Amino acid sequence: MEIINWLIDTVLLGAHVILSFLPPVAGLTWLAAVVGAGMVWIFGRTSDQAAVARVKRRIQAGMLELRLFVDEPGISLRAQRGLIGANLRYLLLALRPALWMMIPVGLLLIHLGAFYERAPLPLGEPAIVTMGMSDLWDPSSPPPELIAAPGVAVLGSPVRILASREVSWRIVPNFTGSRTLRFRFHGEVASKWIEAGGAHGFVPGKSVRSFWSSVLSPGEGRIHADFAEWIEIRYPEADFRVFGARVNWLVWFLAVSMVAGWFLRKRFGVVI
Amino acid sequence: MKWGAVLIVAALLLAFGCAGRTTRAAGKKMIVLGVDGMDPVFVETHLASLPNLNHLRQTGAFKRLATTVPPQSPVAWSSVITGMDPGGHGIFDFVHRNPSTRMPVSSMAETTEPTRTFGLGPYLIPLSGGGVRTLRAGRAFWQVLQERGVNSNIVRMPANFPPAECESDSLAGMGTPDMTGSFGTFSFYTDDPAERRDKVPGGQIMQVATRNGRVELSVPGPPNQMRRDHQTTSATLIVSVDAAGQAARFDTGGQQFILQSGDWSGWVKAEYALIPHVNSVRGIFRVYLQQLRPYLRVYVSPVNIDPEAPVLPISTPHQHSRDLSDSVGPFYTQGIAEETSAFRAGIFSKAEFLTQSRKVLSDSLKLFRHELDRFQDGLFFYYFSSVDQNSHMLWGRHEDDLLEIYVAVDQAIGLAMAKAGTDTPLMVISDHGFAPFNRAVHLNSFLMREGFLVLDDPAKVGDEELFAHVDWSKSVAYAIGLNGIYVNQDGRESSGIVPAADKRQVLDKLAGALANFKDPVTGEQVVERVYFPEHEFAGRNLKYSPDLLVGFRRGYRASWQTALGAVPRDVMEDNTQAWIGDHCMAADQVPGVLFSNRAVRAASPHLWDITATILGEFGVAKTSGMIGQSVF
Repeated sequence: MEIINWLIDTVLLGAHVILSFLPPVAGLTWLAAVVGAGMVWIFGRTSDQAAVARVKRRIQAGMLELRLFVDEPGISLRAQRGLIGANLRYLLLALRPALWMMIPVGLLLIHLGAFYERAPLPLGEPAIVTMGMSDLWDPSSPPPELIAAPGVAVLGSPVRILASREVSWRIVPNFTGSRTLRFRFHGEVASKWIEAGGAHGFVPGKSVRSFWSSVLSPGEGRIHADFAEWIEIRYPEADFRVFGARVNWLVWFLAVSMVAGWFLRKRFGVVI
Repeated sequence: MKWGAVLIVAALLLAFGCAGRTTRAAGKKMIVLGVDGMDPVFVETHLASLPNLNHLRQTGAFKRLATTVPPQSPVAWSSVITGMDPGGHGIFDFVHRNPSTRMPVSSMAETTEPTRTFGLGPYLIPLSGGGVRTLRAGRAFWQVLQERGVNSNIVRMPANFPPAECESDSLAGMGTPDMTGSFGTFSFYTDDPAERRDKVPGGQIMQVATRNGRVELSVPGPPNQMRRDHQTTSATLIVSVDAAGQAARFDTGGQQFILQSGDWSGWVKAEYALIPHVNSVRGIFRVYLQQLRPYLRVYVSPVNIDPEAPVLPISTPHQHSRDLSDSVGPFYTQGIAEETSAFRAGIFSKAEFLTQSRKVLSDSLKLFRHELDRFQDGLFFYYFSSVDQNSHMLWGRHEDDLLEIYVAVDQAIGLAMAKAGTDTPLMVISDHGFAPFNRAVHLNSFLMREGFLVLDDPAKVGDEELFAHVDWSKSVAYAIGLNGIYVNQDGRESSGIVPAADKRQVLDKLAGALANFKDPVTGEQVVERVYFPEHEFAGRNLKYSPDLLVGFRRGYRASWQTALGAVPRDVMEDNTQAWIGDHCMAADQVPGVLFSNRAVRAASPHLWDITATILGEFGVAKTSGMIGQSVF
């Protein structure tokens, strides 16, 4: 899994570097268009195109029937029944390509979160780092020691939350770019990236120890120390804007990919 | 050809018609800064520490500015807004009384229920009507300016909630409620068993239990207008206290922050569900962790309307508050944000009050700098509340602390002077000055002593509010608010007993009694002047006016009990509260200030002259009801 995560992040980072001279919306639009084209291509390769064409014709016929025989309740009802059946058939035909696309697109969206969901920490403002502790830790014992990177101040003592087995620190970043926070406990060391300053970048929010959890929290390698289950930095939400208006990046991504797919379907000879 | 001639004539007429509405406004600029409660004597005493005001005094003008009767901020600023006296704009106090119930109601705005609703189980979905409306009569001067094509930016004008409808930018000021609908209700949480109070003026105190280092705090929000029972909404704030008790983590709605004892949080957003997962409203608050050990003591500020997603109208245009929030971050939207209530209740020390008050001022200065930078043409008005609110708590006893606030405002005035240069007229005004508040006068107890007010049982004197034991069949007058006395008039008050024909006789008798009112301890005269509204005011919008206004001598003020209709045993007592300065006295005892970078010709300028001056600078004629004259 780590290799897959690394591979996806490397490709995305490459694209991010290439497009870094453009505003974030331009990069995401370009990427969404490519993904939209890819999804149409996959749809064409993995669906029964002849059956899709047939069922679409049935839907169009049903719609026409509804309009023409609006004064004939019997025919109208039969047309509606036919339309429901055809739509269910269409959904069934779309299931196979959806299953094909689900994993790659799902993974891609999880990885894109690190680019478009979170913003680097603002300079000079307190932020929270929290570590979920493993069973090795006795909550009444001292917490791990946070070894701050240069440019990161740790404010006050940590807070141990007994009920959820968590330890939280308050930090204040005073650098721009990436650093590594290190946590030491009984000779073992766990680490976590921290991103600060700037408006946009690659910002992984949470790192985890479990193999399966790393699917949902990519961006950094897994934690290899036994005392920590996960480490998370609470980053602010990225300020993603389209023509000055604040828009959820995922909504924009899905909208652009669908529009791109719709316009490219004929070029790829795909019936959607 | 004939039609062509008609069109030409029509075009000419249109051109002349438009010309009739043009003004001298093109390219004109003006800056007006409103500093609530800036006192002329304090300024004169500390001119050496206030270089910008001193410069204005030396190169332009410094005069005392006559204030309104009564000299209360909503009344005074309403006169600035409309150019009318209280008899014109109809605001006579922070609170008015409903004659039929004698219950106090906000003088500035009222909320109306929806006219059509759709019921669905416990929910009541509003379909039309409902909202909030201003009770101030008269048109705001920036509405008049707008009609003549003059842009303005009116920031935090008091008594402007909801903001007057206008295309120009404006942000509501004093009078803007918090999310609960009050002028500001803080919440205080503790597990200290010695704290037995649950309600104090302007706040509520809640006992909490810490289990396994975890406490859940319920932060009250607005009453749910979408439920039939209007149940109060709440947001949950979870506090996790470290075993060593040195810090705590706070969690709410996906936000986290850590505080140590004595720390303040930044702005925290709170989501209040009206219909779960369907409709919610958002507020913002700040948390102060006063103490972790031996007992937890957490203060949560009044929940302010979130300027990013305002649930009530707080700006014009509506999205203006969101634009401001985008530019400068969240800010206090509550009309009076300085936490005097927690200080009065003994929950804040003076140092804690000053810290909170500086945060309010810092927020305000951030907004001021942003808006001043943006100012290009037309009128820019900005209001500062800090001098007034700090004067209430520091006056006469903590001069250095108060001077610090004056200095900060003086620096802001310096920025405005730099922006104004020599071409742009600049005025700095205050609505009233200040005086010590040493003795609290229980006006209703005085009325009882003089035989104007009768209790159903004379033993039932005390702090119980809202005339709990008054016998209305025998009482001829009552006091509510900070300066007003009302006759218990037949046909106006419910169970009123004084015929309209006898009202004048009662008032004359009352005025006589007040003129002879002596402090039982010092023997000093308590009342400087008594005002009769029909003599005092040019306007005749007297529906909510008290029948008689009491102008106290410096040092005396109506008690807090009087304001809410209580009848304590004694007629007067020493003011032992933290609120030590005030201005609700005779108007000539507490004038405000007028500074300008222009020479001021008016010998005795009045607040309503400011309105005429502003309109005059832009070549706009006064509208009917405006009584002032330009001071230039």
